[in-house]
Amino acid sequence: MENAQHIIDATQEIFSSMIMLEVAPGESFIRNNDKLINSISGIVGLAGATKGMLAIHMTNAAALAVTTAFLGMDVEEIDDDVRDAIGELANMLAGSIKSILDPSGSDIKLSMPSAIYGEDYSVDCLAGAQAVTVPFTFDGLGFLVELQLRKDS
Amino acid sequence: MDFAKIIAETTEEIFNCMIFIDIAASPPLESGKQAIGCHVSAMIGLTGDLSAMLGIHCPNTVGLAVAGAMLGMELDEVDADVKDALGEISNMLAGGIKERLITENISLELAIPTAVTGQSYVISAPKGSQRVVVPFTISQGQFFVEIKYQLN
Repeated sequence: MENAQHIIDATQEIFSSMIMLEVAPGESFIRNNDKLINSISGIVGLAGATKGMLAIHMTNAAALAVTTAFLGMDVEEIDDDVRDAIGELANMLAGSIKSILDPSGSDIKLSMPSAIYGEDYSVDCLAGAQAVTVPFTFDGLGFLVELQLRKDS
Repeated sequence: MDFAKIIAETTEEIFNCMIFIDIAASPPLESGKQAIGCHVSAMIGLTGDLSAMLGIHCPNTVGLAVAGAMLGMELDEVDADVKDALGEISNMLAGGIKERLITENISLELAIPTAVTGQSYVISAPKGSQRVVVPFTISQGQFFVEIKYQLN
């Protein structure tokens, strides 16, 4: 699916340029609103002619490793720095995907990022959007990037 | 922008007209982080002159009561119907807030709703964003409507 390739391009670009991590994509799939356990999700809404949401779902271990690399400082627990870093990561990914989907910059606007974290939760997109999720791995850790889009006719 | 007032008015209007439940707004919570002990949330992004996220957070029993009233059916577990109903409520709330802010020359567009459910989760906003949370009471308990925003 085309959007899966956009996710891969955007994620590899952001991780290699901003976080100095090389991440390997896996096979894209439709995430069935599975439960997220001991995880953190960064999500950003997309509004305008194309609406949707971009989410990154990470296990706590992956989030700590990414935040440590991103901020250049050691973090050991899911604190405000980690939540902000994962929210900001979702924001950067959404910005990068927006620039692919909407080169003129006029059709899609990003909303504020939120971080959701906990021991046991699920994040479901509603409203009949098309969804695709790509898994990525680095250093034996994994995370998911999910894009949901709906074009208003 | 008096968000506490805007949230109270918009929520009361939507619950009166669309869901037919009487609700009572309480004063907004003090700012700062609070665990509001909720297991069903729906949230939706708004963007334009503000960058914002609107959320409705309910304990399970309240989420079931609200969704059941909206759909006109008995619900006993948090399933896709409940998530859809709460998502639609968040969408209507965001639409109502958007209409009210147009009169203050603040223009916004909506994203699409997302449901968050689970036994244990917290939703946080970026550092530096403003947050207003208004509690509402129905006979089954309390729910919360929250907006987090930054000026663009």
